[in-house]
Amino acid sequence: MSRNLDINVRHLTRVEGHGDIVVNMRDGVLEKAELDIVEAPRYFEALLKGRSFHEAAIITSRICGICSLGHQITSLKATEQALGLEVSEQTVLLRKLLIHGATLQSNVLHAYFLAAPDFLGKGSVFPLVASHPEVVTRALRMKRLANDSGDLVSGRAVHPITPVPGGFTRIPTAAELASLRTRLVEQMVPDFLATIETMKSLAGAIPDFSRPTEYISLRAADEYALYDGDICSTDTGCVPDTEYRRMTNEFVVAHSTSKHCRVNRSSYMVGALARWNNNHDKLCPTALEAAAELGLKPGCTNPYLNTIAQVVEAGHCALEAVAIIDRLLGDGLKAEAPNQEPTRFGTGVGATEVPRGILYHEYTYDRQGRIARANCIIPTGQNLANIDDDMKKLVPEVIAEPQEAITLKLEMLVRAYDPCISCSVHLLDVTFKGQES
Amino acid sequence: MKVIAAGNSFCGDDGVGAAVLDAIRERNILPGVDLVDVQTDALALVELLEPQEPAIVVDAARMGAAPGSVAVLRPDEESLGLRGDHLSLHGLGLPEALALARRLGRLPARLVVIGVEPGRLDLGGGLSEAVRAAVPQVVDIIAAEVGAHG
Repeated sequence: MSRNLDINVRHLTRVEGHGDIVVNMRDGVLEKAELDIVEAPRYFEALLKGRSFHEAAIITSRICGICSLGHQITSLKATEQALGLEVSEQTVLLRKLLIHGATLQSNVLHAYFLAAPDFLGKGSVFPLVASHPEVVTRALRMKRLANDSGDLVSGRAVHPITPVPGGFTRIPTAAELASLRTRLVEQMVPDFLATIETMKSLAGAIPDFSRPTEYISLRAADEYALYDGDICSTDTGCVPDTEYRRMTNEFVVAHSTSKHCRVNRSSYMVGALARWNNNHDKLCPTALEAAAELGLKPGCTNPYLNTIAQVVEAGHCALEAVAIIDRLLGDGLKAEAPNQEPTRFGTGVGATEVPRGILYHEYTYDRQGRIARANCIIPTGQNLANIDDDMKKLVPEVIAEPQEAITLKLEMLVRAYDPCISCSVHLLDVTFKGQES
Repeated sequence: MKVIAAGNSFCGDDGVGAAVLDAIRERNILPGVDLVDVQTDALALVELLEPQEPAIVVDAARMGAAPGSVAVLRPDEESLGLRGDHLSLHGLGLPEALALARRLGRLPARLVVIGVEPGRLDLGGGLSEAVRAAVPQVVDIIAAEVGAHG
């Protein structure tokens, strides 16, 4: 079929940040299919130079209002490794509680408010309020509880205050944790089970598309890895997080102010679907049942199902949060001063699974405890090349469809990755001028 | 009664709401009033609103007035028309959040929005002089609203 196609979606909506979808086809030959990232770079790495180890996490949490907790935890881990600061088991458990709450919050927000309108053929969440007010109210309730969990443990869900290098400046009381546990069990779990039913009713609208790629996530021996783990590729297996540079290989492309990444292929995918593909065996039984209900299978190669993987993961996060609270309460909460006496000044890497994929921070400190060099590699940046490759496969497959349908599939594809463009730099506008020739 | 600040404190005068909350805390007035900063999380704002509880929302508002100008709005159906707002994440701005709250039946019967015309919205740098100077006026308006209520 000979066809000319020009799609230019300028500043795509329902994603965090500014990006444009640009697709050109001439005489049936695809010339361009890419996500242009048009935001200004933000130079956080340069901002960090000369800053004290006390400040690094405070500054980097400002990279994003959505992923502030993930940046903060990753930054603390990099600093602690660089300075030889050991943290207690209680600190690790509290941080894991934070990470699970933040992932739950972000996944719910994306599935309900950003992705679900597409499944219902709507432009935003507003028509849902009229047709399904109880669903929107449930989504807000889930998001609120996840936020409250962040407030309780970190002092503030956005740009947390209490997590510092070496520990916490304040920890919640046993009564506060017990109260959070009750809300998770009595409110979040039923809401999650209802979410599965809602998503099941919408899943038929998810495009049937497949493109095998390399899936990269953290993997841990004893748990579904979010806080820590080795870097695991579906192509080549696991390596320690200190090998992160060769597992990202950042490079510059002309159409994006955010760098692209590749490892064993022209692109790879990070995020909930990559975590599912690598670590589904570590999910709790409730999450696995949800996956079965929603038709999510191991070895999934449909990027649109990233949203479904997020939903499954949200259930795991809720139940794992309960288990973490049980451990904290069972061990007994201890008042601990943060360990802030460096035993060395060197280089440290922090790698954390944040909602959109692996986040890396690496810092090198001088002997005064100030940052000499910093490097941050953000999940959305790692996914950009994979999104472009998906679009290049998708467009020829759907070229016979009306232009509006093609545009919607492209928008849904980008949204499925839940991109956070402000983090990677910002995302999307699509414009469409298709003509049969 | 809740006083809710919306906006990004790292974008110049968009931090006016947070500055107003700080001023209320410093003067230690309005005991018993919940002071909440939702920053750029418009959905958190929706969840915080309850029909029976009066609320005051403070945000930067482009009104075409001189920087630091203060407007007291009592949103009704008409003034809740949807419009774009790039100050908030995911494209959900204050008007959209209030519209969502209304459709969910969460909009307080007594809701006041205090808008302050921003002078600058660039990253960093804090409040402009004009907006900083308007903060005490906003605090006085809030104190009067709280007083009138109870």
